[in-house]
Amino acid sequence: MAKHLLKLVWNRRRTNILIVIEIFFSFLVLFVAVTLGAYYAHNYRQPLGFSYENVWDISVGSSLQTDIEPTSAEQKTARVNITKRLLAAMRDFPEIEASAGLDSPVFAIGSSSGSLHYKGRRAETTFNQVTHGFKDVMGLQLVRGRWFEDADDALNWDPVVINQQLAQELFGSEDPLGKNIGDPKDKRESRVVGVITDFRENGELFEPENYAFTRRKLTGVSDDLSPHIAIKVRPGTPAEFEEKLVNTLSAVGKDFSYEIKPLVETRESLLRVCMAPLIAAGLVAAFLMIMVGLGLIGVVWQNVTQRTTEIGLRRALGGTAGSIYTQVLGELVVVTSIGLVIGTALVVQLPILGIATFLSNEVYLTGLGMSLALIYLLTLLCGLYPSMMATKIQPAEALHYE
Amino acid sequence: MLKSYLKIAFKVLLRRKFYTFISLFGISLTLVVLMVAVALFDHTFGAQPPETKADRTLGVFLVKFTHPDRGMTRAFGGYAFLDRYVRTLPNVEKVSLHSFPTTAVSYKNGARMTSWLKRTDGEFWQILDFDFLEGGPFTSEDEKNHNFVAVINQTTRKRFFGDEPAVGKFIEVDGQRFRVAGVVPDVPILRIVPFADIWVPISTSKTDAYRKQFAGPFMAMILARSPADLDMIRAEYRSMLTRVEFPDPRLYNKAEGNAETLLETVARMLFLTFERGESPVKRLMAWLVFLVVLFMLLPTVNLVNINVSRIRERSSEIGVRKAFGASSLTLVGQFVVENVLLTLVGGLIGFVLSFAVLHLIGSSGLIPYAQFQLNYRIFFVGLGITLFFGLFSGVYPAWKMSRLHPAVALRGRG
Repeated sequence: MAKHLLKLVWNRRRTNILIVIEIFFSFLVLFVAVTLGAYYAHNYRQPLGFSYENVWDISVGSSLQTDIEPTSAEQKTARVNITKRLLAAMRDFPEIEASAGLDSPVFAIGSSSGSLHYKGRRAETTFNQVTHGFKDVMGLQLVRGRWFEDADDALNWDPVVINQQLAQELFGSEDPLGKNIGDPKDKRESRVVGVITDFRENGELFEPENYAFTRRKLTGVSDDLSPHIAIKVRPGTPAEFEEKLVNTLSAVGKDFSYEIKPLVETRESLLRVCMAPLIAAGLVAAFLMIMVGLGLIGVVWQNVTQRTTEIGLRRALGGTAGSIYTQVLGELVVVTSIGLVIGTALVVQLPILGIATFLSNEVYLTGLGMSLALIYLLTLLCGLYPSMMATKIQPAEALHYE
Repeated sequence: MLKSYLKIAFKVLLRRKFYTFISLFGISLTLVVLMVAVALFDHTFGAQPPETKADRTLGVFLVKFTHPDRGMTRAFGGYAFLDRYVRTLPNVEKVSLHSFPTTAVSYKNGARMTSWLKRTDGEFWQILDFDFLEGGPFTSEDEKNHNFVAVINQTTRKRFFGDEPAVGKFIEVDGQRFRVAGVVPDVPILRIVPFADIWVPISTSKTDAYRKQFAGPFMAMILARSPADLDMIRAEYRSMLTRVEFPDPRLYNKAEGNAETLLETVARMLFLTFERGESPVKRLMAWLVFLVVLFMLLPTVNLVNINVSRIRERSSEIGVRKAFGASSLTLVGQFVVENVLLTLVGGLIGFVLSFAVLHLIGSSGLIPYAQFQLNYRIFFVGLGITLFFGLFSGVYPAWKMSRLHPAVALRGRG
């Protein structure tokens, strides 16, 4: 049966090669679209590791200080004092449950990264320097160890809190608590004091990544201000509170400008920005698939009308409608499979050559399987109507046909 | 001759409406995708008001500061750097410094309003041709004297004052009070250089720390006396960078970059060719053309497929023509003309659809203040793409068909 179908396909290779090419390209387009979709869906399902409801971000805008200009010790102390005074002012509001300073806010692309070391192993991670109240503002969940505390000021080493993924990469099954993970060249040690579940600061669409918190001491020596302050407000705090808060902040630190945004809003605008190109790409892929589908209907239909005599002869010799269906669809499946085999052969090069390593096996296989299934579904759907037309051919009429 | 070809083509198109529909669907939507992409590109990089002097304007966007031991940082220029070294470039007509827009907050009846605020100088308004709806720009004098004056766009006027005239009234932004000097039409957000909601003098910054900065939030716009001077200015900019004296050479001691167009900067960012002087735009264009061809591959194969299928229907016609002495070349010509006609009809539908889609994107508010127009540049690009498409997808089927043997063709078998 399969051999016979192959022979039929081979006999009409000139026509079929074009269909094979078309299936091949459609598969590639669909693979890219479906895999990206699966990638984002997979990311979206992972827990964020923090809660953003009723959390507001206050960005403390100074005229951008860069490390191109030298900074004096007095300037630094003055800048650190700003953060201290702002945080102190927050404590006076009954509407604010918790507040903390941080370097890079959540739901905003762009943060600082670096590497951590342990026993010759090295792990790249995102860093954020936060003050002590940050755990309560974001509702971080500790898995082991502890969070930063006021007594840490007196330590002669730097406490670090890392997420589970980083702990796994750096320590494997070892206990990370108390281990030095700083650069071996540095005199001052950085020791792990706690492990949190996760902190996916870029939001749901982005891949979970390594994360490490360091502590902002606010003592003025080799320290700077926190460019962002996160606050947790009481549920039901009215939006008018924002204006009151900005006025207070402006009175405390006059040289700065303040922008307050609920994280719910920044999350939504980030999602919108990230989704727009995805939706555009999805629409283009959908359009290409519809076009390919319509084209296939046309081509198969034309094939069927052209082979009226052949099909009529089969009917006259006792072929059933079912066997005609099987033949037309079977040929289509064979042609599709050839295109898909070439396509798959190309796509499996991705893991073999180590390209696109950001795709986990699960996502990659989902994408591959779904796009294969979708192409078969598409071709079968497109073959249904023409093959129905083929079964309607009357043997007497067909044998007459010239 | 051509007339009868067109007549035949039209008859054929009407004969099998399903096939015609499939072809037109593919052609027109392919064109829509490409036209929207081209319109977005043109919207961002093309010369449009208020940038009417784009042919003799250069920008200084990113500067790379390096030190052999400390690595590098890529940043916008600081005021001190641009003021000392770019404003003093010889042989230029005008230089304007303007900050990258930042968000600024105002409150009206307790509700937050966020606007994009750009700090700039008087020259900004002389280099760019804003069409003032009321009032006028602020001047270099305003900048020098720390005058709290602002130019706002139409949407900001509406948000603060409803539909009332705004000149002479005051707005409060980021805790600072500005007198409105003029109102201009909205500038699309993708026009990085002119875009803002509110423009105010640089000297109204909350502190004057910016005056000492080498890296900061500023860009420069350089207006040449004539387009022919641009190459000279580029060269002068590069030689000036070698003479920069750093405030603390232990931190960074070398500056690299170019005075160039926004498109060149973006292309440079993509290819990471920051140090080189030559323009990376050609390379970017080559990549874009490659991507366009890649995208058009599937629709083309589809169209070829359908065309090849349809040929068989007409084999008796071909047989007759061949039997009466028509050469293969004539037949190829005829069928290519037919296919081009088909793509042109598809192109026409594509134009109408693109117009609708662009209007939809514009009114969706996804890109603030976007006003897409199908200008003549986009029209010609679209027409070019359509013709290319028609020729590309028509030649193979026509060639295949023209080789049919008359005897076989007359019998009506392909």
